[in-house]
Amino acid sequence: MSTRFVLRRLLQVVPTVAGILLVSFVLVHAAPGDPVLALAGEHGDARYYADMRRHFGLDQPLPRQLVTYAGRVAHGDLGFSYVQGRSAAAVVMERVPATTLLTGTALLVAIMAAVPLGTLAGRRPFGARDVGVSALALGLYSAPVFWIGQLAILVIALRFGLAPVQGMITAGGDVTGLARAANVLRHLALPALVLASQELAVFVRLTRSGVIDELTRDHVRTARAKGVGERAVLLRHALPRALLPVVTVIGARAGHLVAGAAVVEIVFGWPGTGRLMLDALQTRDTPVLLALFLLVSLAVVLVNLATDLAYAAIDPRVRLR
Amino acid sequence: MTATPGGPCLRRLLLGALAGPLALTLGVACAREGARRAPRTLVAAIGGDPGHLNPAITTNGGVHTAAALLYDGLLTLDEQLQPQPALATRWEVEDGGARYVFHLRPGVRWHDGQPFTAADVEFTFTQVLLKFHARTRASLGPALAGVRVLDDSTVEFRFRRPYAPLLQQLDMVEAPIIPRHVFAGGDPLRNPANTAPVGTGPFRFVSYRAGSEIRYAANKDYFLGAPWLEAVVLRIIPDPATQVIALEAGEVDYLFAVPGPERERLRRDPRVRLLQATVNPGGSNCITTLGFNLDRPFFRDLRVRRAVAHAVNRDQIVERVLFGEGRAADAPISSRIAFAHAAGLPILAWDTARAAALLDSAGWTRGAAGQPRVARGVRGVADGTAFAIGLTVLPSQANYGDLLRAQLRAVGIDLRVEPLEQAVFSQAVFTARDFDTAIGAYCNGTDPEIGVRRMLVSSNVAPVPFSNMAGYRNPVVDSLFERAASALDPGERRRLYREIQELVVRDQPYVWLVETIATRAHSVRCHGFETSAHFAARARCGE
Amino acid sequence: MPPLIPAFDSAELAPARAAPDAVWRRRASWRAVVALPAGAIGATLVVGVLAMALLAPLLATADPFAFAAAPLSPPSFAHPMGTDAIGRDLFSGVLHGARTSLLVASAVTLLACLCGVGVGLLAGYYGGIVDDASLRATELFQVLPRFFLVVVALALFGPGIDRVVLTLGLTSWPVLARVVRGEVLVTRELDFMVAAQASGASRRRVLWRHLLPNVFPSAAVLLGLLFGQVLLVEASIGFLGLGDPNVLSWGVLAGQAQGFLRVAWWLSVFPGLAIAAAVLGVNLLADAVSSTMSGR
Repeated sequence: MSTRFVLRRLLQVVPTVAGILLVSFVLVHAAPGDPVLALAGEHGDARYYADMRRHFGLDQPLPRQLVTYAGRVAHGDLGFSYVQGRSAAAVVMERVPATTLLTGTALLVAIMAAVPLGTLAGRRPFGARDVGVSALALGLYSAPVFWIGQLAILVIALRFGLAPVQGMITAGGDVTGLARAANVLRHLALPALVLASQELAVFVRLTRSGVIDELTRDHVRTARAKGVGERAVLLRHALPRALLPVVTVIGARAGHLVAGAAVVEIVFGWPGTGRLMLDALQTRDTPVLLALFLLVSLAVVLVNLATDLAYAAIDPRVRLR
Repeated sequence: MTATPGGPCLRRLLLGALAGPLALTLGVACAREGARRAPRTLVAAIGGDPGHLNPAITTNGGVHTAAALLYDGLLTLDEQLQPQPALATRWEVEDGGARYVFHLRPGVRWHDGQPFTAADVEFTFTQVLLKFHARTRASLGPALAGVRVLDDSTVEFRFRRPYAPLLQQLDMVEAPIIPRHVFAGGDPLRNPANTAPVGTGPFRFVSYRAGSEIRYAANKDYFLGAPWLEAVVLRIIPDPATQVIALEAGEVDYLFAVPGPERERLRRDPRVRLLQATVNPGGSNCITTLGFNLDRPFFRDLRVRRAVAHAVNRDQIVERVLFGEGRAADAPISSRIAFAHAAGLPILAWDTARAAALLDSAGWTRGAAGQPRVARGVRGVADGTAFAIGLTVLPSQANYGDLLRAQLRAVGIDLRVEPLEQAVFSQAVFTARDFDTAIGAYCNGTDPEIGVRRMLVSSNVAPVPFSNMAGYRNPVVDSLFERAASALDPGERRRLYREIQELVVRDQPYVWLVETIATRAHSVRCHGFETSAHFAARARCGE
Repeated sequence: MPPLIPAFDSAELAPARAAPDAVWRRRASWRAVVALPAGAIGATLVVGVLAMALLAPLLATADPFAFAAAPLSPPSFAHPMGTDAIGRDLFSGVLHGARTSLLVASAVTLLACLCGVGVGLLAGYYGGIVDDASLRATELFQVLPRFFLVVVALALFGPGIDRVVLTLGLTSWPVLARVVRGEVLVTRELDFMVAAQASGASRRRVLWRHLLPNVFPSAAVLLGLLFGQVLLVEASIGFLGLGDPNVLSWGVLAGQAQGFLRVAWWLSVFPGLAIAAAVLGVNLLADAVSSTMSGR
């Protein structure tokens, strides 16, 4: 049943992604703005820009461009970047590891911090600890992320020198192997913590309400009545099921963060996909933009699928429809 | 629900909560002694990904900044904009300026070891620059009859008519020379060498990590002597605030631009030195200009254009937008092009009373308090129309819009600022001509032929970025430009350009706002920078 | 930017998971909400922010677009939040900006509410093909990355608050639609529906009358959280320089403050505080509402 479910869900991915590509193609091409004008720079003559348009096939009518594009995509070719003159897929894929590392770490840190904090808060709702935890998480969530990022840079990186200011690896440093990993980790810490601080509130809230719910349930009461220790009740009986919603949301967050970390990437000069998106928008690098659309939607769909499977694995009550 | 006591469980939870951030922080602490920067390495910050590194196929400033160290032009220009030898060591001007012969430097090699010859020059001009370098194609293309190889080290340019400004158009920015053996055959826009370039410049390409950094190593065989630096890293840092902090933290040594508000702070910082430059890669001697769309009935009346000019306070722009980094423009041609710049022109000064009087006389009557003026008998404008106009700007120039809105408000003109990304801006302003007023940074370049002619001659009212934005048509100005381009006598050219400037200041199709300059900043660890394209060719760091 | 889904999804899950106990449908009364510390603080913040927006023309008489004093003057009695680089009064900007920011957030919330309730009702009431189709649509829209879309729309078509409202409003409804649909499904099977039908009352009217009070609490929480997210998205848009400079908003002000972080602290602090206060306020209030209605 599970295999059939996976196959069916994978098949559903195709029309979803095709739909998103179609919509984004029309959107990008219907928008005002001419990639050639941004690409070539100033001061040309009219024939020059006409030549450039022909060069990129932009002089064709839109439906024909769409057919050409669709045909190429069907063969796995996402076209050439106008700006870089090389495969758009390559341009996008080389930025994926950085974003995955940043968002993955941020999510992991957020969850590692949020589950104990949420449990702490949920055990005694509206107690001093609950209020403290909620205030912390909500406070971090409520401030604009670029603000927190810049403050972190000014205080932690510049004032105390505890972390580098920007980038993913020391500029011009030739390091390999373990030293390289350590170097990247050092650059990763600040942006990941800032991004995690934004995600903390969600996970704390989920864990907290999950714990509150579970602690009032029959099986927990039964366990207590049987004389199971409070710690065991919490960790073995309440928490696992309280965390189910957390799993669901991880999926949603992970997919959306492919583009959503753009602000943090800009503040910290992190070479991820969010920044690529903004660059591609500025230069109207349509092939790259469409490839990004594809990546983002694929990421969301696939991560959601993985989440559903994980959910089913944790909670046998969930039937896979 | 029963309350549960604290105890070890609580402590465990708190520890757990700290585990994530703690692990990261610990990792960081262990990694403190990470990579040290290699000796004799300069790290310079740039704001965005250039995408490729071929300055011959675009005038995009980002590409030119990033690729400048790799290439040379036939000539370079000194501080006074006079041509100096580079790839060409000497040259002759013949036939009254219709024929130029360049003698190339012997023994120059490309970074891949191939010899540099006249064939490279011929190929670069005919196959690449005249097709893909927007500015060179537009200025040189119509005048040039042909480029011919006379022998391996001699190349000839022939023109249809005498062409005076050629020697100002052969530097790295206007005409970088690229290797024929790498680019011949195939599409220059998709050549792999665009992202792994081969040049003749003081540094050679090592690697390009998108979104992160571009690395160069010294060209030990550079024809003007090997650079002292062994490596240059261009670090991509998009946020200008972060760039400054990175400089203060010692992570980078050189910034191509400093945000205006931060400049005073950095000037007082003993670890930092500031440099001023009027030459920017991709364009120099720029004048930020407000253009009227003369096709719109609002601006057909000279009195209205003069009123706007009177309402604009240039000194305030220098103070509040440029933070002192520049000067109020006092002529249509930059003061940096000394021979052509006209001094003492009757440029309209800030005078709101005069502006109000002009608007009154043009039929724009004062509205209610805080409301814009209203048309009463303005030709082509329905009575009762409010004086509310749009100002189209690039997003980076939105702050000009904020200030101009406040200035024009004082005389009863409502300004709506429309920031548009480059691709949309060019289309709206130059292709569709769908705008009221717009701001353009017209870089004059090194000669009025390069950057002034294009904004004033009627033949250049064209769907082309930064052409004649106003849609200004004056046959006298057109013919004066024709004569100035072929006049070889500097005195004659000066006289013609002065005449042009007097005419256009009178017609006021534009308001020339400010001449901008750029401030570079570098750490005191380093010195010896030049403001030219090869900024780091003679720099030294950390001695 | 991160905070697009987060609280939104969690709000969905919290009440829904408690649903079997059926206690959460107890209606949230204002008194109960404000009795909670979170509710009290939240309500105070929200009321304060609303008052700022409503009273802006009275409190801040200076034209927020005109010259007020020397550029970059620090806060003073005449200009309690200082002036910006142009010399405009920031206090006036923040107060008038509140109107735009709150207007955008309200419009998005309203649009999402209309779409969500509409789709949910249709799906739940008609079932069958309509239900299937709307479920597909709901899934598709949940996949769409909203921040990405807003940025794309603004960069492609130029800045404007209408675009922000449309892109966010038209993509933020799926969770609400699911809640409404679920509620319709539950309600239509309940005893009183059967009884109502037997007594000849209009099925539709009964459904509506019983649905509204049941959906209202969770919808209020969802929409409250959405409201806060829109404010944060608006701030990020300002940071990216995609805000509309003709309509002052907190996001535009925070964006314009970027270059002055270390030169004129007041430029970023006051708009930032305003955003944080509003977001914190609606989140605390939403928390309190959800706790009250779940009977805790």
